[in-house]
Amino acid sequence: MDRRKAIGGILGLTGISIASVVGVKYFYGNLKSKRGQLQNYSNLISELVDAIIPATETPGAKEALVHEYIINYMEECSSMKEYNNFLNGLNNLQENCVNTYHHNFENCSTVQKNQIIENLDNNYDSTSLFSKINNKLQGRSFFDILKSLTIEGYCTSEPGATMHLEYQPIPGKYNAITNLKVNQKAWATK
Amino acid sequence: MPLPTLRLIKRRGQQNNLIMTNQTTNNTFDAIVVGSGISGGWAAKELTEGELKTLVLERGRNVEHITDYITAWKNPWEFKNRFHLSNTDLEERPIQSSHCNATDKHFYVKDSEHPYIQEKPFKWIRGYQVGGRSLTWGRQSYRFSDLDFEANNKDGYGVDWPIRYDELKKWYDYVEDYVGISGSLESLSHLPDGIFLPPIPMNAIEKHLKESVSKHYSDRVIINGRVANLTEPKKGRGPCMYRNLCSRGCPFSGYFSSNSSTLLDAYNTGNLTLRENSVVKEVIYDELTKKAVGVKIIDAVTKEEINYYAKIIFLNASAIATAAILLNSVSQSFPDGLGNSSLQVGHNLMDHVVNEGTYGIYDGLLDKYYEGRSPGTIYVPRFQNLNPETKSTGFVRGYGIQGKGERENWESKSTTGIGVSLKAQIETPGKWKISLGGRGEVLPNYENKIYLDHQNKDQWGLPLVKVHFEYGPNELAMMEHMTKASEDILRKSGFENVGSYRNSPPPGSAVHEMGTARMGNDPKTSVLNKYNQMHDVKNVFITDGSFMTSSGCQNPSLTYMAVTARASQFAIKMFKSNQL
Repeated sequence: MDRRKAIGGILGLTGISIASVVGVKYFYGNLKSKRGQLQNYSNLISELVDAIIPATETPGAKEALVHEYIINYMEECSSMKEYNNFLNGLNNLQENCVNTYHHNFENCSTVQKNQIIENLDNNYDSTSLFSKINNKLQGRSFFDILKSLTIEGYCTSEPGATMHLEYQPIPGKYNAITNLKVNQKAWATK
Repeated sequence: MPLPTLRLIKRRGQQNNLIMTNQTTNNTFDAIVVGSGISGGWAAKELTEGELKTLVLERGRNVEHITDYITAWKNPWEFKNRFHLSNTDLEERPIQSSHCNATDKHFYVKDSEHPYIQEKPFKWIRGYQVGGRSLTWGRQSYRFSDLDFEANNKDGYGVDWPIRYDELKKWYDYVEDYVGISGSLESLSHLPDGIFLPPIPMNAIEKHLKESVSKHYSDRVIINGRVANLTEPKKGRGPCMYRNLCSRGCPFSGYFSSNSSTLLDAYNTGNLTLRENSVVKEVIYDELTKKAVGVKIIDAVTKEEINYYAKIIFLNASAIATAAILLNSVSQSFPDGLGNSSLQVGHNLMDHVVNEGTYGIYDGLLDKYYEGRSPGTIYVPRFQNLNPETKSTGFVRGYGIQGKGERENWESKSTTGIGVSLKAQIETPGKWKISLGGRGEVLPNYENKIYLDHQNKDQWGLPLVKVHFEYGPNELAMMEHMTKASEDILRKSGFENVGSYRNSPPPGSAVHEMGTARMGNDPKTSVLNKYNQMHDVKNVFITDGSFMTSSGCQNPSLTYMAVTARASQFAIKMFKSNQL
């Protein structure tokens, strides 16, 4: 179940050297965070989740208030390791954003935002043996946490479950075998 | 959609008592039942219907049917952290947390309030409330057969059961007809058919697996799981709405629990008194009459000690708690605990051995789906050691495998990328996946036991329970075998990425603890006789999992219910003929 990866994929974004990555990692890895800080990042997280799941013909993650779920989860349910990874990842991303684009993530263009997120996505890997072991030791990486909570938060939100997916609170019957309909959506819950 | 059948919502009583209406002035009843879970509920129903004034003592809080199912109507987004337990929850429920989530945690105890001592890892999963774990049980209901009742006698582990299938058959019929078990008739002698409602049908992948297994194996079959979910209405309850949210409590009474059924019927007789927050300290024994005369309770809230008296005592507190009550009931005649002249009380603790779980993905049948969420499973009945042809060289007894097939959704589907493409991947049903999990018989072993630690006390001053439990080589061999067999079944059936989880759950995880006051013919080696009376104290009956002389591999609740009904009817007869 545990997945994760070392440092965020931030490096891919700026092409910073391995040495400086190690430096960043060392710095943030030793930063002792306290819980209760993530509300301050609400805008940033809402923009991040919306880049991962944007509005299309169905609402995006921001409208589904996925950022609020992520903040709740990280504050109340996450391990301290992952809390630190997540908080450091947010700071790191913002810093790299400013270095590269000269303004913070919220003010980036859609193209820039996608570039940043795609870079993070390309540079994380939750399935390799290395990352599994690393996850066990250090908690999942920033982007692993962000992406999986975004998907979960969106699919369990009211807009996500009822508009992007199909949600039946009270099926009333069980048709064990049906033919897949054209454009059939997946059930939101099991 | 059929309208919900809201059956008899009882009003909540004054402060902490549900219904103390039949309270007598001298705290005296005909019968006392300790515990209101699946077996206690049955004892209450039978005894009250037999016109015995019956006091049911529940150590936890009241849970009113429907009214107190506080999460039953909640949508996923109405849970702040979705289904995740918070760090505070984990601190309060470090042991229970593996078995509950944010939607049903209130039906699981806080370990911090109810500590016990594990000499070796053993999960004691508990629900201290009216209805007990009947609210959250897995609802799987299988009969034992003579393969099980004769097993100890044949291979020499444990002592012989004092009953055989013939004697229990009509009681299985009786409880199944009341409970409502959905299942299919299969004519398997080692897994007898019962009185069934129509089975929950198999979906496309489950059907595929069934057909494939019948093609590839001569020794095993796949059948519809037998579950206490109502595929048709029953006695004003149900039918099942296929929400698959059972563990929150069902507002449609779609599955069997004490709350939805037995306790309500007991209440309707006018003979039931139910007292919540009643922690039983001991059974009171009278040296002159050589009988139990009542029980001493501690009010969980006020800590006040109160005695209640009755001619008949039923202990249905669950295997570990019942043994603890007996061991704490010390008298001149029974310095080692009530009815414990055999020194078997607390020993021979069993659970079912559960493997890691196996899964596989099937690349096909992509034009099929389902509508509604099945609360059932498929089942591979035991196929080892049935006869000389199926004899295993690695272990005695056997195991069954439960399974479920579904199409992956966002929860398990692997996705790539972000943005519009990710969204599109989430939107559609994934591939078919089947998960299988074995449930194996645990041998009775004197060394596996619970006992009391008088140095360490709980908040009511009662000694803490200590559990010592370890799997033996037979269980370990079986565990390995069930994993390999599960993988083999999936591979032969065309599944890909077949694998098993790495960590096997610790003992206790099946939540089938039993055997701590076993039945037997010989008072020297067993605690209960064939009617579940204590050999030593004839007016004390024990019909929770404690009585189990062997564990079988079937989910045991149905057997507890059948045995409870049988023992209750016997007790009523004895009571009415003044023989108790």
